[in-house]
Amino acid sequence: MSSVADGRHPGVSAGETFTRACSAELTYTARRRLTRFRMSASAPRDSVIAVVGDGFGSLIVHSTARYLGFENDQITIFGPSPKPFGTYQQYAYNLGQTVLRSESESHFMPADWPTFAELDAWSHRSLAPLWRSITRKYNPGVPEILTEATVVQASTGWEESRVPLRVGWLQRETEPMPHFAFYDEQANFIGRAKHVMLAPGHGPLSFPPILARARQDPAIADRIVQAYEPKQYAEGGRYIVLGAGIASVNEWANILDAKASVLALTRNPQPETQDLNVPRCLFESIGIDAFVSLPFDQRIQFLGQVLRGTRPERRQWLARIETGQAEGRFDAFVGEIDELEPGRAGLRVHVSNRHGEDPGWLDVTGIIAGTGFNKSALTIPLLRRLIEYYSVPVVQGRMKLQTNCGVPGLDRPDSRLCCMGLIANSVIPHGDTIAGLKFIGRRFAADCARAERLRGRAFPSRAAFQVSLGRSVARELRQVSPTQQLA
Amino acid sequence: MCPTVLGRVQTRWATLIIPAIIAAVISLATGKAGWIVLIGVYYVLGVALDIGFYPLVIRWQPPWLTFTLAVGEFILVFILAHVLKVGLSNLEAILLYWITWWIAIWTKVAILPLLSLSWIENAGEFRSTDWSIAAEYQPLPLNVFTPTAAGGAPPPLARSFSATAIEIPEELRQIPTPSGVRRIPTTSD
Repeated sequence: MSSVADGRHPGVSAGETFTRACSAELTYTARRRLTRFRMSASAPRDSVIAVVGDGFGSLIVHSTARYLGFENDQITIFGPSPKPFGTYQQYAYNLGQTVLRSESESHFMPADWPTFAELDAWSHRSLAPLWRSITRKYNPGVPEILTEATVVQASTGWEESRVPLRVGWLQRETEPMPHFAFYDEQANFIGRAKHVMLAPGHGPLSFPPILARARQDPAIADRIVQAYEPKQYAEGGRYIVLGAGIASVNEWANILDAKASVLALTRNPQPETQDLNVPRCLFESIGIDAFVSLPFDQRIQFLGQVLRGTRPERRQWLARIETGQAEGRFDAFVGEIDELEPGRAGLRVHVSNRHGEDPGWLDVTGIIAGTGFNKSALTIPLLRRLIEYYSVPVVQGRMKLQTNCGVPGLDRPDSRLCCMGLIANSVIPHGDTIAGLKFIGRRFAADCARAERLRGRAFPSRAAFQVSLGRSVARELRQVSPTQQLA
Repeated sequence: MCPTVLGRVQTRWATLIIPAIIAAVISLATGKAGWIVLIGVYYVLGVALDIGFYPLVIRWQPPWLTFTLAVGEFILVFILAHVLKVGLSNLEAILLYWITWWIAIWTKVAILPLLSLSWIENAGEFRSTDWSIAAEYQPLPLNVFTPTAAGGAPPPLARSFSATAIEIPEELRQIPTPSGVRRIPTTSD
């Protein structure tokens, strides 16, 4: 397997580098933090707040709720993973990602100060992260951000709030007070909560139909992979990479690093480069106000325009691609695969071009689809059941959520049912980024605090909570070798 | 951050509170009004720029611009202080300005995000941590009940219940009331 991103040792695979980095950093954390015996909660469990899902969203809701003044026994996280970053870590490993696309403010501590660059600068006694941050060229490294997630998880007692079961069904109850009852996938009762955040994560990986069909054929199935799946490249191999978003560009670099050749295939001319997932001002209320004011259909149309596979400008990616081009190992083409079969090099692929001459049949080693995830809420079993049973309105696979990300019909001000992540980006366009998760998580936690008339933490207590978290994170980051920045 | 005009003004006000208190104390202690007057000049000038100039030229404000703006504002405040004869020496005015800026920037960077979780997301405005547009809550739908479209004919069941029917089956007449409240116990009970 080739190496991927920068900050790696020559000749070492991306996965190995990533593992080496993460394990070194997390091992330290594990020694310091995780060896303390922390027992997860048991079912059935009643709480004020429940999060369905055990990913980044759950960590953000949990830490924000703790910051506002909720205690661990008032919060339940439902999910089997003992690490809130487990899914992300696996995808990052498969992709060979070493730095986030997010910027300095996007991390897991509840308040916006200190930023991640400030923590990084403090822990390594270096002004470089601050300089990069003020010039907007700072992106947290994956090992660093996972280290922070681990510290926040341990310090806030996330594990003590977690019931290690997957929710299969939730039922709206109105007596004796509005709440939700939870059942696992075997229909066992596992708890109740007044307010619920649905954070189920992404749907399944998405493939163009012709590739999805081909993956059913055992003779060629292994030659068609998704960018987020585990994979390996061989020197001299010939690969087609579909798409031109961030995952695809990452794979171009991976393949070129493995001394193989890559044909980048896009259906349309390539998208513009863009630092962040959505335009900057859409991250804030000024943009979100305007976005939410649009009718639902226009919002979906707008999302289709701004989220069509953008990628950030990365100096080091460009250098590699230019080198690959100069060596005749990289080319980009607008076209579509319309036929494929077993071939001499493994796969025989027919590519057509609506804009010009067809390249015809190609012999390639494999195809990598950088086509992301299926965005339809109907692909997530729990959501599909809710949609069918409670007649939740769905348009083009997206739930028509309220402007507070609430599920229509089930959400009430005194007992919220809210969504976060990709399923909420029809309301919050960057809902599936760390910044978007924070935006939603903060408002949801604040809604819960208002509904429960929570006597929240006073300012000194909040400041002490945040500073204490910051100190712990900085202490752990000191053990992490700084990841090389790409921008 | 993409600050709004309101956000800029509110932030300006919030970040100058501490310097204003300090300057007021110094003015009272020294009997020299210049200290607090200079803060007032800085505030008025800042608000004027926040309303009339910055929104026209800056949409997204990167962090590095903060210091550049501070230098520009310093020059303007310095000139205004001379024109208005605030009664401070050059050194005093320079020191007061930069100490004020230093306190203000720390307030902005560290204190305001802790005071309000959503201050940055809200473009510098002090809103409650809430949603941009209030939700219109909907009642819980009942799946088994599918009413016919308004204006359509009554469903068959409704027609069979119609009181216009001439004959009613005898069995129907014999069916007891659904309520058990007034039921008379029998010996079999």
